Amino acid sequence: MTLNRRSFLARSAAASAVLAAPTLLKAQPAEYVFGASLPLTGPFATAGQLVAPAFAMAQRLINEEGGIGGVPIRFVTEDSGYIPQNALANYQRALATEGDALVAYFGDSTGFMKLVAPELKGDQARLMGSTSFASELANPEVNPYQYLAGPSYEDQFDILLQNIANQGGSTVAFIFSNTEFGRDPIEHGKKRAEELGLKVVLEESTKPQGADIPTHVTKLAQSGAEYCLLQGYVTGVWPQLIGGARQFGLPTKFMGTFWGMEKIIADRVTEQAGPFLDGYQGVMPYRYFYDRADAPRYETFAALSKEMFVGTPLENYMPTWTIQTMCAIEIAVRALRDTAEKGLELTADNTAESLNAISDWDMGGYFGGPVSVEGGKIGTGRVYTYGAENGLFTPSSDWFNV
Amino acid sequence: MINGNLKATYAADEQVLNNAYKRAFVYGMALLCAALPFVANDYIILVAAQMGIILIAVVGVNVVIGYTGLLSLGHAAFIAIGAYSIPILHTLFASLGVPEGIMPFLAIPLAVAISALVGIVVGLPSLRVKGLYLAVATLSANFIVIFLIELDAMAPYTGGFNGINTPEANLLGWQLDTQREMFALIAALAFVTILGVQNLFRTRVGRAFIAIRERDYSAEVLGISLLRYKLLSFAISAACCGLAGALFAYFYARILPEQFELVLSLQLVAALIVGGMGRTMGPVFGVIIVVMVPELLKYSFGIIAGGSADVAALRAPVQEIVFGALIIIFLMFEPLGITQIVDRGFRSLNRWPFARG
Repeated sequence: MTLNRRSFLARSAAASAVLAAPTLLKAQPAEYVFGASLPLTGPFATAGQLVAPAFAMAQRLINEEGGIGGVPIRFVTEDSGYIPQNALANYQRALATEGDALVAYFGDSTGFMKLVAPELKGDQARLMGSTSFASELANPEVNPYQYLAGPSYEDQFDILLQNIANQGGSTVAFIFSNTEFGRDPIEHGKKRAEELGLKVVLEESTKPQGADIPTHVTKLAQSGAEYCLLQGYVTGVWPQLIGGARQFGLPTKFMGTFWGMEKIIADRVTEQAGPFLDGYQGVMPYRYFYDRADAPRYETFAALSKEMFVGTPLENYMPTWTIQTMCAIEIAVRALRDTAEKGLELTADNTAESLNAISDWDMGGYFGGPVSVEGGKIGTGRVYTYGAENGLFTPSSDWFNV
Repeated sequence: MINGNLKATYAADEQVLNNAYKRAFVYGMALLCAALPFVANDYIILVAAQMGIILIAVVGVNVVIGYTGLLSLGHAAFIAIGAYSIPILHTLFASLGVPEGIMPFLAIPLAVAISALVGIVVGLPSLRVKGLYLAVATLSANFIVIFLIELDAMAPYTGGFNGINTPEANLLGWQLDTQREMFALIAALAFVTILGVQNLFRTRVGRAFIAIRERDYSAEVLGISLLRYKLLSFAISAACCGLAGALFAYFYARILPEQFELVLSLQLVAALIVGGMGRTMGPVFGVIIVVMVPELLKYSFGIIAGGSADVAALRAPVQEIVFGALIIIFLMFEPLGITQIVDRGFRSLNRWPFARG
């Protein structure tokens, strides 16, 4: 066989392809894996069970849209029972079984995110979103791989306090559960209230599932607060605290943050305990699912929900908890796709860099407009008011950017 | 009927591992633990290390519940004390200029000693109350310790509700910065703890504990000081839990108060009951069931049913039910714990083919 220029080039190309094949194969595995821990049993099983179907929808949607740089993605979900060590074990198992194919992880609690944060080093690190809005996590210098799919609790308090100031309010009370979740924005909230000229007339910590609520209602009445910000509860104190205050004839306006703003829970409380939640307000980073004008992404979810979740509560309505999870997944996928497009390996460092570079992104309806990831979070939200008659949270402010 | 093993010398009678099965098991486990860091993946190391930490704590619980007969539901508090002592002591040592390489050699014994002291305080009610009343008294200790850890005034030391990052252990320059390296330390100390406690019950002190368990008034009549030995039992038990807590702090990069709540205390007692109270191997078998089996169930259900979220949503409660049913079955068929089942198995193996059971 003679060696001329053409055959030399052909053989060189073939040899290069053979030599480069392992690298290419390594760079592009057959599939990527997105791991998750959810509280499918334990105290937050209700939330976990509502959120779980979102992963099936996300997997289908993302893969139909081309996966990550053409490589399909698979979601692996495990129950944590809402115990941080269990979630950590789930994460370690996902790392051990999936290896480099595991490119992102979704955590189920603030506790887990804090527990795992110092472990995210070297090849143990992955991009990580979660259900948490804990202010401590939104710190890329300390937690470079973790992000919030919305504003931190401190930001949410900022939005509520700004809205109160805009409406001419002058006195606020903070009632919060005696947990890390409840205490998160309180110190910051006090400073912000002072800056806005609002007087914090009551700071009251309670048990997460309020036992001595009448005492708190009495103190609230004595404080004469116009507004009362609730933090650190999912449903625990609505009937007792707000219901009790209404029975007492208090005109105080109650406000909550993300985990106290779910329509399904508000509807259930209204149905079982009466319409005292009418006029309840709170901050929500996302648009509610029924607000689908100019929200193509929500329309896509709605079409898929009708097909995938027939006969379940998700068929016609996607809870805010599920929206938060979908949002966290989409942010991670965007960071992964951006990294893949740049031709880089999907390492935690590369994807975290892409994540923090996301700016002016129109997510198709989740938020009030295009959003940017700044400081490991998306600092936007608006105030909504619940109507007991129609069972809807309707906007009562413009979008705030904090 | 065979009711013992022939020993021809006093030395044979005094051996801790006094028959071939015990020797085979202990040496086998030691070999397995030695080999594990070289062959197992990170997840297996994580579960094994978790088992080691819980095992040390359950061995401690066994001293007070299994051997001394004092029911305690507050042992997570001692683990918390041991765990929180580590970052606090490291900060203190750093301010005193103690070299990092010797900090664990001081911090671990001090954490153990602090837990033992707290154990004595928590054990005080045992002088007046017994049974369920003592359980409630110790239960409150758990709540008080967690309350103190979360207290705002303690937050500069404990991190309060937010928890605190923990230091890495540095043994004379050997930085145990991976879970694999930490597992080696945990496994070694777990062996030492089990053998130490096993030996304790060959001494006057251990026999005094057993006498108190059988009937405390009679023990007192025999000259055993209830004050001294009940408090000593609590101190030894709390010391083991303190050791578990110290290792917990070195193993995890961060500790949170919610990790030491009532659920952990109940897990320790459950492991002891399932494994077998008042037996050396009880904690070992109990920890295998309580820590490893849920992970095995998760793993095997995951392989069978797949890892997708909608399947996980269905199989997670099923796993819990299967685990609960397993414990009920064990307790129904052998209330004395898995140790008895294993004993029966070994006995029948010993006598086969001449007799069974």
